[in-house]
Amino acid sequence: MGELEQAVMNTLWGLDDEQWATVREVHESLSDRRLAYTTVMTVMDRLARKEYVEQQREGRAYRYRPRVSRADLTAELMRETLSDMAAEERGSALVSFVADADEADIAALRRALGELA
Amino acid sequence: MLTPLVLGALALVLASPLPRVLSRSERLRHTPVAAMLLWQSTALAAVLAALGAGLSLVTHRLWEGEVGVLDVLLAALAGGVTVVVLGRLLLSGHRTGTTLRRLRRRHREQVDLLARVDHDILQQGILVLDHEVPVAYCVPGMSGSRIVVSRSTLTRLAPAELAAVVAHERSHLRARHDLVLEAFTVLHRAFPRWVSSGAAHHEVQVLVEVLADRAAVRRGDRRALAAALLALAGSRAPGGALAAVGTGLAERVAVLVDTRSHRVQSALVSLSALALLALPSALVVLPWLAGLR
Repeated sequence: MGELEQAVMNTLWGLDDEQWATVREVHESLSDRRLAYTTVMTVMDRLARKEYVEQQREGRAYRYRPRVSRADLTAELMRETLSDMAAEERGSALVSFVADADEADIAALRRALGELA
Repeated sequence: MLTPLVLGALALVLASPLPRVLSRSERLRHTPVAAMLLWQSTALAAVLAALGAGLSLVTHRLWEGEVGVLDVLLAALAGGVTVVVLGRLLLSGHRTGTTLRRLRRRHREQVDLLARVDHDILQQGILVLDHEVPVAYCVPGMSGSRIVVSRSTLTRLAPAELAAVVAHERSHLRARHDLVLEAFTVLHRAFPRWVSSGAAHHEVQVLVEVLADRAAVRRGDRRALAAALLALAGSRAPGGALAAVGTGLAERVAVLVDTRSHRVQSALVSLSALALLALPSALVVLPWLAGLR
């Protein structure tokens, strides 16, 4: 399901600024996937509930656009990731390969690489 | 009267001086499996001894002989302290668990919207985020854990180095290291000050990394892992007040280059870990419980 949500978001992120899209338009742009119209509608409704997209009523249909740009959402995610990795004393949601390093760490690593060569 | 005293003294020793001594021992990290066992049994034994001390004082005062006012007061005090210790642990466990799960669910959700699934890298479905800061991490979880790297990580690492990083993260997920870290976070949040839970938490964090490093170099090579560490650690600006705690990276490297086997130390440390749980139970707790009947 995550993959389908991403496909819908990519369509919405592909819109010009200030432009909105209806479920029908998104459904058409994903036509090569042969999805049911209601499937696309369900996914977009869920994205709206999770507050990744804005939903606005227009006549009998709803129209949608992303709440934040792809670049901004990526930046926000990375900011959270990096601050989580720096959180030494409190519990961490992520398990990082390597967190912050100081001068002594870098020196130790360089020495180790010399020894292992 | 001996049982509550012995258990109380044991709880005090296990809660503060022992973790301090253990966290200063560099040698311990060279047998990470045994060391992890020792840390876990120390923590468990400390909690059990503290609860046992309180409960045995209650039974000692109320079960045996004439019960006076002083006995009732002491029993109430001991019972109260026991309930507070247990309550803090349960509350901390609940808070930590719900916070971590909420953060991880949200993180997974966003990663799934943004990241490209790369099936080419080692055919393992790694998620790639389009960002210039190099990162590599995993999002643990019962259903649907994720291994995430950034585009910059892919360009900086040679194939063997990337394989080592992925093997390291897979080992975290397979061994459920997040659960160990979570347990020590719970302890640390429940008793942040008068117990050396900070030292324990930090040391367990280092050990988890050492264990994952071991798993990564079991088949791959040490040099690739060390090179990956240098490439990813050296590329981000060092954070603020880290010097006081130490990052644990230098310690990881010290274990990484050590190829000697430490069978004797490993056996001794494992035995101590078992003794820490078994001896108080057999010598103090069982006679007390048997005496209640």
